[in-house]
Amino acid sequence: MPALRTSTPSRAKHPASAAAPRPGGYAGKLLRVNLTTGKIWSEPWSPEDMRELIGGVGLGARILYREVPAHVHWDHPENRLVLATGPLAGLPVWGTGGLTVVTRGAGTDGPTSTQANGFFGANLKYSGYDAIIVQGVSRKWVYLHIHDDVVELRDASHLLGKDTWQTQDLLSAEYGLSGHQLSVYSIGPAGEHLVRFAAIQGDYGHVASKNGCGAVMGKKKLKAVAIVRGTHGLAAADPRGLVQAADDIAHDLQTDPTARSLYEYGTLPGVVNLHKLGMLPIKNYTTNVSPVDLGPWEARRLREGFDHRGHQCNACGMHHCHMQVIRSGPHTGTLVDEPEYEGWSGAGWTIGATDPQAVSWLNTELDRAGLDVNEFGWLCGWVMECVEKGYITRAQLGFDLRWGDVEGARKLVDLIVHRRGLGAVLAEGVKRAAAKLGPPARDCAVYTLKGAVPRGHDHRARWHEMLDTITSGTSTLETGNPVHPTEVGVPARVDPFDGVAVAKMVAGLRGRLGFEDSLGICIFTTRTRLENLCRALGAATGWYYTVDEAIRFGRRTGAILRACSLRCGITPATEYPSTRYASIPVDGPAKGQSIVEQWEKMLDTWYAEVGYDRKTGKPLPATCKALGAEWLAKELWGRSR
Amino acid sequence: MRVLKLTPDKCTGCLRCELACAYMQTGEFQPAKSVIRVSPFEGHTSYAPYTCTQCAEGWCMTACPVGAITITAAGAKDVLDDKCVGCKLCTIACPYGTMFYDPDTRKAFKCNLCGGAPACADACPTAAITYEEVATADWIGDFAHERAARVLAAR
Amino acid sequence: MTRHLVIGGGTAGMNALRTIREEEGERSEITLVSAERPYSRMVLPYYLDRSIAESHVFTATAAVLAEWNVKTQLGRRAAALDTRAGVCTLDDGTKLAYDDCLVATGSSAVRAPVPGADGRGVHSFWTLDEARGVLAHIAPGSHVVLIGAGFIAFTILNSILALGARLTIVEIAPRILPRMIDPTGAELVEGWLRRHGVAVRTGAAVTRIEDRGGRRRLRFKGGRDILCDVVIMATGIKTNLEWLAGSGLRVNRGIVVDERLRSSVANVYAAGDVAEGRDLVTGEPAIHAIEPTAQEHGRVAGANMAGRDATYRGSLSMNIVEVCHLDVASFGAWDDPGAEAFTAVRRERPAYRKLLWRGDRLTGALILGRSSDVWTTNDIGMLKGLVQSGNSLAAWKEHLRGNPFDVKPAFIASRTTATLLPLTLLGRASKAPGTTPVAV
Repeated sequence: MPALRTSTPSRAKHPASAAAPRPGGYAGKLLRVNLTTGKIWSEPWSPEDMRELIGGVGLGARILYREVPAHVHWDHPENRLVLATGPLAGLPVWGTGGLTVVTRGAGTDGPTSTQANGFFGANLKYSGYDAIIVQGVSRKWVYLHIHDDVVELRDASHLLGKDTWQTQDLLSAEYGLSGHQLSVYSIGPAGEHLVRFAAIQGDYGHVASKNGCGAVMGKKKLKAVAIVRGTHGLAAADPRGLVQAADDIAHDLQTDPTARSLYEYGTLPGVVNLHKLGMLPIKNYTTNVSPVDLGPWEARRLREGFDHRGHQCNACGMHHCHMQVIRSGPHTGTLVDEPEYEGWSGAGWTIGATDPQAVSWLNTELDRAGLDVNEFGWLCGWVMECVEKGYITRAQLGFDLRWGDVEGARKLVDLIVHRRGLGAVLAEGVKRAAAKLGPPARDCAVYTLKGAVPRGHDHRARWHEMLDTITSGTSTLETGNPVHPTEVGVPARVDPFDGVAVAKMVAGLRGRLGFEDSLGICIFTTRTRLENLCRALGAATGWYYTVDEAIRFGRRTGAILRACSLRCGITPATEYPSTRYASIPVDGPAKGQSIVEQWEKMLDTWYAEVGYDRKTGKPLPATCKALGAEWLAKELWGRSR
Repeated sequence: MRVLKLTPDKCTGCLRCELACAYMQTGEFQPAKSVIRVSPFEGHTSYAPYTCTQCAEGWCMTACPVGAITITAAGAKDVLDDKCVGCKLCTIACPYGTMFYDPDTRKAFKCNLCGGAPACADACPTAAITYEEVATADWIGDFAHERAARVLAAR
Repeated sequence: MTRHLVIGGGTAGMNALRTIREEEGERSEITLVSAERPYSRMVLPYYLDRSIAESHVFTATAAVLAEWNVKTQLGRRAAALDTRAGVCTLDDGTKLAYDDCLVATGSSAVRAPVPGADGRGVHSFWTLDEARGVLAHIAPGSHVVLIGAGFIAFTILNSILALGARLTIVEIAPRILPRMIDPTGAELVEGWLRRHGVAVRTGAAVTRIEDRGGRRRLRFKGGRDILCDVVIMATGIKTNLEWLAGSGLRVNRGIVVDERLRSSVANVYAAGDVAEGRDLVTGEPAIHAIEPTAQEHGRVAGANMAGRDATYRGSLSMNIVEVCHLDVASFGAWDDPGAEAFTAVRRERPAYRKLLWRGDRLTGALILGRSSDVWTTNDIGMLKGLVQSGNSLAAWKEHLRGNPFDVKPAFIASRTTATLLPLTLLGRASKAPGTTPVAV
């Protein structure tokens, strides 16, 4: 395969190491790729920047803020696609293959931060790079090849139309490499056709799924990034301390009651547990009561109901990611990725499908096509409801699509990823499709006014996530679920239907996730005390972050993303749920609870607590200052303030 | 003698053993220099670690033209760096693919059981690698044979 | 007391000595005849690039030989063998009587019959003495010409470059490494060499080597003379068999030996380069003038001389050279024209695999890849194991046809490890060097 343009990053460009030595854990270089010109180069980043930005979303947010101005929309050549790891990636802490994708996404045309794992981050670090920053648009379809110092753009015409698993299979065969010797993150047909909720999928089942990052990659005509497991070493400031911190985190994950089920079964227990709380979204928010016995949906049975095999990410001991083989039905024998809770929800409950074998198959079909399973779920569930109610006709669709029809849902995938027929409308995502169809169909759709959708939960019983999703600078969870909340002074329990208490909790927990997503580590292996993560980071790099600093770092990153978001025209006026998203559950444990009545109060509280201006949405100068970002205050408010 | 017993059904392919091994061997986290290596079977799933069995013949040891490979107190064949010249003969003599060569140091290197406390066994989160008083064996052949059937059938 | 005579202090002879001491049931007398102090030819390239001291090349010091209770005739060459009388005559007329003897006299370098080939500044690189000569004449910036692009030349190529010399390789054949890799592999290596600043001239016949004011001028059939400082002739080796004329040993291309390394005369064994023994893969008689064969021959012969009944399955042809961090290895019948061959090339890495089949057995293999690619080193060993074990790969053949790089799962899933584990050369675990018993 001839390279369109070959350029080997030159070591000579790096300044002599007269400055501070490179902190441990870092590869030390950022890889830059300009697809328009074909130029590839690497640039060092300073120990000071490393300390301030850490990596992952911290690094990505800074690049987005500095390099993607207002007029650079998601599909503009100058949009950046940042694929960033962090200082823990490639080290022996569990779950450290981490990748954070930061870009201006196609879903909201605003900032995106979305994570995936596997081995990409580790392979990239061993190749000598902490992050890849892609800009420009290629003339022809290409993929990025990285093998230590050899970095090339290669012709991808033979990969076009291939799904993400096929793409990795083909490249593995082409390279003559197997298993984790080659990590490939790619877009499927969805990304190629600029579906607004196209994802980037890698290493068979790991998906950076949010906000249409796959469409950005597709717009750039970058089909895939393939990284050969590099040969460089990563040093740690205190390797023994690092191994000890890793072991402590592992011990904590295995034994702490709040993490243990995750250790044993990943997110599988979610289905049954969330159902008990009214948080399992069934049939597009039309009910919260399962029509079937949930026995087969117990975590143990979900796992053992399949021929399954561990399929862990870099250095991870969680019994979380698995591969499984479909045991019954038309796809018997097919090897698939064990769905996360999000998959069981999006490819299952949301669309009324209750056969785990069928749901598991559809979930991987979505990964392969390169679609976000959450948004697909909301979209497909909505279409099914519309078909049931006669808002969408069989003629419009070309086939019948009833609740729970997984094979029909697969047909819908084809319509969407190829933008055929009604698929052209649906490919624009839930919000745009709902607007296009108008009421009454519109009012059945679950979305945020920013143009995003929730994860796979029923937020009408999970108010903190609705508030988080809607106020986030990245249009999806920015704070996440509480993990050891008391460590940062947040009460362990609040009344889930007390809007003010929930808003205080969401504001109080802010920062942790931004810190975690900068480390190059999986969200599930960070479910330990923040103090342990600080220890691991310290042992790797030699800096001793305190818990307060970590939180401050995460909040600073959030403030920068908020500034990016505002610049993209996403204002507080869009911080509302759709009619259905905020409707009142008609049954189940949260029956009758109404978040709408409390919404304004929740926003007021949240804004006051986080220190953002309620009217403009901007982080207040005092907030910026407290977060160590006075420069941001100046840029947002001008020097006079 | 205690040997590295491999239980492939337990392996999830996380490669933590490679990291631990490389750290013991080089002081850095550099899996390219690990002497235990995890391979996939059944396409991109079903992994198993693979390393030196400390075989009775010691093809590496008998092949070495300068006597640089010896047997340690732990019973492992080990390369003496001050004697090894880096001729690579051991890498073609070993029929298992478990002799390695470091182009940076220009020495051969291999599993030396970490002097009797193997780091890979400590690092393995699933006990797929254990250090036990058992006869060495082809630990993963049957597993690979069974799992590979799917890859072959798929062709 | 049994009198063993070992003729030749190279790899075969020294392994035989040691094995006799390891295996014998009662103390015997051993005499070693060696033209040179025993050293390892394999490590001379590392002496040449000064990464080891000269003392490092010796395999047995006088003290060790004394410890092994070996009588030595160093600096002497065997001149004649009277197998009926059981007497070996040395070049100084000394006669050594033996009960059994091992012929392990190895090979010598031969120079191409070119006028000036024996002149000043023209070297061979085979013995320690010759290595000293080359070392004395190369300085940083020297222009060195290697005549002959075969295995021997390639073993010293890195060393010459490491000494800071400029290197030109001249080969009369149309391509380099004609007896170690196929044309595709040769092309990749040639490209790699050029990328690393080595000039390669193939299909080039040197007609004369002249002295030009202390430098060497090489004249070629097609013109384009080369002026250089040092010429190293690596144009081949020949086995040292002339002295055996009249011995009565059956000699074909080498001394014909049976599965116990015994010659046509019951108490005379032969090992190493001079022995024509069984080829493991083909089962045919073959000379494998390589270090591993010398070592195995020596040990099996030694065990039999010590009274054990040790049989040898045969030797496996194998070679590896590293060319500027590119590994090139071959195993077994890699050039078998009757074999079915699967190949795969990745030019950009570069990487190359060639798998040769007879039925569902792998009978030969070529592998080329960067030294830093761990999977290359891994596959090197596994390919050796597959060829050595002769395991059936029926279930994997089609898979390997599609992807000749995917050797590892085939190796493991065909349970090659299980086949290999019980195999030992002498029917017992090997002993570490230095643990040979001093006396029984």
